[in-house]
Amino acid sequence: MDGIPLELRYSLPEKGYERFWEGLKRGEIWATKCDKCGVVYYPPQVDCTNCMTKTEWVKLGNKGKIMTYTVVKAKPQGYDKLEDYVIGIVKTEEGVDLMCWIKGRPKVNDTVTLTTDGMRVIGETNAL
Amino acid sequence: MMKRVGIIGVGASKFGRRDDVSVRELAWESIKEAMEDAGVTQRDVQLVVAGSTAYRGVELYPAPPVSEYSSLLGKTPIRVEAACATGSAASFSAVNAVASGVADVALAVGFDKMTEVDTATSLAIGGRGGNYQWEFHMYGTTFPSYYALYATRHMAVYGTTEEDMALASVKAHKYASLNEKAHLRNRVTVEDVLKSRVISWPIKLLDSSPISDGSSAVIFASEEKIRELKIDTPVWIEAIGYGSDTSSIARRGEWTSLRASRDAAAMAYSRSGRSPTEIEYATVHDCFTIAEIMAYEDLGFAERGKGASLLREGQTEKDGRVAVNLFGGLKAKGHPLGATGLAMLYEVTKQLREEAGPVQHQFKNYVALTHNVGGTGHYAYVTVLSR
Ligand SMILES: [Zn+2]
Repeated sequence: MDGIPLELRYSLPEKGYERFWEGLKRGEIWATKCDKCGVVYYPPQVDCTNCMTKTEWVKLGNKGKIMTYTVVKAKPQGYDKLEDYVIGIVKTEEGVDLMCWIKGRPKVNDTVTLTTDGMRVIGETNAL
Repeated sequence: MMKRVGIIGVGASKFGRRDDVSVRELAWESIKEAMEDAGVTQRDVQLVVAGSTAYRGVELYPAPPVSEYSSLLGKTPIRVEAACATGSAASFSAVNAVASGVADVALAVGFDKMTEVDTATSLAIGGRGGNYQWEFHMYGTTFPSYYALYATRHMAVYGTTEEDMALASVKAHKYASLNEKAHLRNRVTVEDVLKSRVISWPIKLLDSSPISDGSSAVIFASEEKIRELKIDTPVWIEAIGYGSDTSSIARRGEWTSLRASRDAAAMAYSRSGRSPTEIEYATVHDCFTIAEIMAYEDLGFAERGKGASLLREGQTEKDGRVAVNLFGGLKAKGHPLGATGLAMLYEVTKQLREEAGPVQHQFKNYVALTHNVGGTGHYAYVTVLSR
């Protein structure tokens, strides 16, 4: 028999992370950094949980190297209307690892230019 | 002073699409079998730990209905969850309860009904298995895509191929065909795997474990209780090791090996005084074929990057150097998340007691382990056992 549908609607807090989401709209990628211990947090954290202190925002550069990737064919609810997309992990020149979508033909160790589409980080391969 | 703990009874339901039962009857299948196997009743069981992820079934709080149905009221103080390692989290809790003297006889039961929602929903739940906001929400990650990120990097760094990964699937299906309780009992070839539908490249349908329903139960007892009950074939827990890692896969810093598995293995080996070469039989976490190859490396059965060679050389087949997953593995036996870790203990117990029928491995010293990963390396448990 059909069960009673359970509809879950979530709303997420953004407070403290406005810089990140506004940056994405401008093509920028922001991380946080602890002045005391030098740790760079990505995903950003407002707290440095090593030093029990607050972090500062830092903008990351726009060059990186593909560490790995996958082409998503079986898509989850919420993404099921989209064309196939490529999820990659890119190491920036600062040594920060970012998840992103890869545009172009990915290959491990290829360099990419990092940009955004307003909602997420995009790594564009230079190879065609 | 911790007490020595042994397994005195094991049970497992048939895995697969089980729309013939609700989660209550499903859990009871394995609980009943475990109690009959141990020769005990509900009266002897002092504590029950229920392991279930409970996201895909209608019962979001399944421990009460399961303990009610199974006449175990008053004995189930907790439901535990550690994603795909939930069954091991349940056994960890039950073993600790016995070791510490809280209970003389404890039962861990793991179950999940994963087929009650459709595949796209299941993918969305699995995609939340890492970091919701920064990975699933922004990039539409799925559970297969997390492991695919490991597979791609393993291929690039070590030259592991899609054919190598397919060998793990061929082996799993071959043994599952001999297991009446397995979900997928068809045999497959390397070609079948390579030609199967791409789920998240390089992972294909036949590189992936199925979405299954199932339950498993294990009864643990203290050494004194084992003597009192006159159990003549206890399987001893020598040690349990555990590890964990970041929720964000991008933050792991490496994508060819699971740090949680390495840490869990190191702890289990050190606490049991065993080394990888002493392990004669292992169940490893092969939710995807790449996971089996990484497990060989993380458990020390092969050097880093050389895991695939064990498959190519048949060293992990029955009567090989270390036999692995002779019941069909997660890949073909099935992977109902809450049940898996306990199904591994079921399998190793059957093997160590020489009750594994057509897939009985020949032991010299009767030393085995289970390796159960939660999430994509978010948790790992390694349990060393002996007879
Ligand atoms: Zn700091």
